[in-house]
Amino acid sequence: MNARADIEPLMAINDLSLSIDGTEGEVKVLDHINLRLLPGDIMGLVGESGCGKSTLVKAVLRILPKAARITTGDIVFEGRNLAAMSSRTLSSDIRARKIGFIPQDPYLALNPVFTIGAQLLEIMKWHGARPGPGSNRALARARVVDLFRKVRLPDPEAMLSRYPHQLSGGQRQRVLIAAALLCEPSLVVADEPTTALDVTTQQQILCLLRDLAEEMALSILFVTHDFGVVSELCKSVTVMYAGQTVETGTMAEVVFSPLHPYTKRLIDCHPDRLATLEGIPGIVPSLIDPPGGCRFHPRCSEGTGGCPRRAPILVTQSPGRAVNCIHFDDVPA
Amino acid sequence: MLALWRDRVAMFGLAIVLLIVVLAIFGQWIAPYPEDAYDVKVWQRLRPPSAEFFMGTDALGRDIFSRVIMGAQVALIISVTVVLASALIGVPLGLIAAWRTGWVSDAVMRVTDIFLAVPQLVLALAFAAVMAPSIQTAMLALTLTYWPFFTRIVYGEARRVRSALFIDALESVGASPLRIAVMHILPNIAPAIIVRATIGFGVTILVAAALGFLGMGAAPPTPEWGLMVAESRRYLPQSWWFSLFPGLAILFTVLAFNLLGDGLRDVVDPRLRRSR
Amino acid sequence: MTAPLLEARGLRTVLGGRRRRFGASVPGVSAVDGVDLAIMRGETFGLVGESGCGKTTLGRTILGLQRETEGEVLLDGRTVSGVPPRVARRLRDSVQYVHQDPGAALDPWWSIGNTLREALAIAGVPAAEREALIDQVLDAVGIPLSMKRRYPHELSGGQLRRIGLARILILRPDVVILDEPTSGLDLSVQATVLNFFAETRARFGLTYLFISHDLAVVRLTCERVAIMYLGRVVEVGTVAAIFDNARHPYAQALLAAAPSLSMERAQDAPVFEGELPSPSEIHKGCRFRTRCPFAAPACAHTDPQLEPVAEGHHVACIRWREIPDI
Repeated sequence: MNARADIEPLMAINDLSLSIDGTEGEVKVLDHINLRLLPGDIMGLVGESGCGKSTLVKAVLRILPKAARITTGDIVFEGRNLAAMSSRTLSSDIRARKIGFIPQDPYLALNPVFTIGAQLLEIMKWHGARPGPGSNRALARARVVDLFRKVRLPDPEAMLSRYPHQLSGGQRQRVLIAAALLCEPSLVVADEPTTALDVTTQQQILCLLRDLAEEMALSILFVTHDFGVVSELCKSVTVMYAGQTVETGTMAEVVFSPLHPYTKRLIDCHPDRLATLEGIPGIVPSLIDPPGGCRFHPRCSEGTGGCPRRAPILVTQSPGRAVNCIHFDDVPA
Repeated sequence: MLALWRDRVAMFGLAIVLLIVVLAIFGQWIAPYPEDAYDVKVWQRLRPPSAEFFMGTDALGRDIFSRVIMGAQVALIISVTVVLASALIGVPLGLIAAWRTGWVSDAVMRVTDIFLAVPQLVLALAFAAVMAPSIQTAMLALTLTYWPFFTRIVYGEARRVRSALFIDALESVGASPLRIAVMHILPNIAPAIIVRATIGFGVTILVAAALGFLGMGAAPPTPEWGLMVAESRRYLPQSWWFSLFPGLAILFTVLAFNLLGDGLRDVVDPRLRRSR
Repeated sequence: MTAPLLEARGLRTVLGGRRRRFGASVPGVSAVDGVDLAIMRGETFGLVGESGCGKTTLGRTILGLQRETEGEVLLDGRTVSGVPPRVARRLRDSVQYVHQDPGAALDPWWSIGNTLREALAIAGVPAAEREALIDQVLDAVGIPLSMKRRYPHELSGGQLRRIGLARILILRPDVVILDEPTSGLDLSVQATVLNFFAETRARFGLTYLFISHDLAVVRLTCERVAIMYLGRVVEVGTVAAIFDNARHPYAQALLAAAPSLSMERAQDAPVFEGELPSPSEIHKGCRFRTRCPFAAPACAHTDPQLEPVAEGHHVACIRWREIPDI
């Protein structure tokens, strides 16, 4: 376990805050987010709707609406600060090249009027992935077919000339995974890629991702709201609530010994755990006028007077394990 | 409605539309020479714009400014009648066609398509040609050629609403097709109909003016803008004011309706309904 | 044995076929292809399957909005099938349907109160009695009466869900078909929703047909469950029987595929090869054999019917005795 503290993270999000200017005011979508993703890790980013997990991963690649702005913090990836990078550099160096993105809805992410092959070859062209632009089209095709094989698509050669509507949901998702891997990124960010799929298809995709991560030495940041998925796929977990990171650790630590009150209650809501149907009292707070300090304190059964004033920082309990809660601020030596 | 306020372009359109309405209602009292709608004063023919005659006089010596104002009334009568009548024909047809796929729907829409395939002006001309030129002829011809626009838009919108979940829920509790069509589908497509009607006012005036220009619509001495432009042709380019001002009237009126219609389209939304 | 409240016998629903006068007719798809079901009064009966299995079509056929192509639907012993949708809905007005998206089931131009009043008006309840009924039901579902003036877009998802249920409760149904009631919901909200449905069932003496793709949720809320695949019921039984002793390979795979909070990674569980074939490809023999890890040559020739495994537990597979437990 001690080794974890020494490894240089592949990506470190430090104290990141992000706001989006809306018609009713400034929406403080992310509040002092802290996250460390180690190389080779598969991290689950878990939270309910509105917690900001999708926004966070999109912020990494900066594919957010114009009205969004980073107010504090940085995103350090392979030694470079993505938050401070110009959009052009992000485009040429990072997006698709170093960090691949798998979007949520396979039905919407593909252009219906172009063949699968055309769309993937275009990605390669845009990013001048090896082989370089203008160079052998045949090599590019071969690479795409090779990736199709890796993502276990049936009949990879024929797939090149198919149109999106001819594919099933699971097949489309595999195509998107292939697209994310085209330029051999070191990190793949997946935004709830299995939410729209059937359970059996989901199982296949999760298996595929697990195997690919090993084969290609990938790190994956996997956004989901389903703890079950996390326990099937992920090695580590970060839990978010209302724009704050609430807890982080290995899968076993967070799922079986949760520390933060929200994490505990959320896991208890999973049907596998549910003895009585309780839920969490209260509602998610408005992000325009969020509660001060810990944003969960109005709903927390273990809240104290100090909670609204406490700075929302993750306090490390042991290497790789941290909690954002007043009850765990004093770490035993 | 607040959002419409902010849309300056639409407000501009609304202002002009209101102006037209005011002119139409109160024209007789605003125009300096209301009798010029029909009187002939040959001694003052073709005078250029001056303090006495703001827009000059026409070939028969009538004050163009007054005639333009009186023309607003004609324009509005024509457009309101035509749009209302077209809607009364087109909307129910669209609802019927949208209710269920089948031969009825196909029949209605194919007829609509045939009408829509021919440019409205040409079709209107065809109708008007078999009748004596008059405002009534113009109105009839325009109605017969404008209803398909309503049918098409109602069909598209009604089909969209028809497949909405709440229609399904209504059928599930036993609502009859008539109830669903009139009390549920219609209110939900009303915005589209209103927008179509607003633009229709403008379009109708334009086509009526064209008919007038071609001698198939309003007959002299009616102060109809299109007719005025037609009459002015022989006196161009010297008496430029004769064509210009009625032409501008047409331009601004149609533009105003279009801008207003565009603004309305952006703004009308069931989410604007608030509980009192 | 008491008679079932709602029964389906040999139900078949073909969708999408068109007969053309000129040219070839388009054959329809048998979304529901021979289903027998019996739902008892007071129970919560689960209907589970993945997309394309026909569970929604089955729900709508039982409701009556979708006319069945073959087979019968019986309500309290009376045949209520074989009639067009509008007549069917009148005959089956004790069966009501709650949509997956409760907000979308309300007309955005109508206030909540008016929507509820209309439901009663259609049902023929005299005007004088309507308000009292509405107030009573709104109270029962926990919606303040002041909400009657509001419009759907002014309310939260949770409130809309309650109102959607209120709208059918005022019609005093016996059977309520719940279509994917927890789909897309956050876990914490899901718990609240399931609780709400359970309370309502007890309070109003309802019988539920609970359609869902989520086995874990079905396990929590239902007493009996039927698993569907490509238009057929492949296994049916009590929740305990299915979850502890699933016999059909598809049921076993579904159970194994559901992501669970367990320490053992499901790496060794049978992962499905291939995908759900499209319902328009009619296979001879067992329709699951193209993906079944236990398929034998005999499976290509016999179309399995539901056979009893134990009391109240039936499975449609010719090899069920040989299939090991998961």
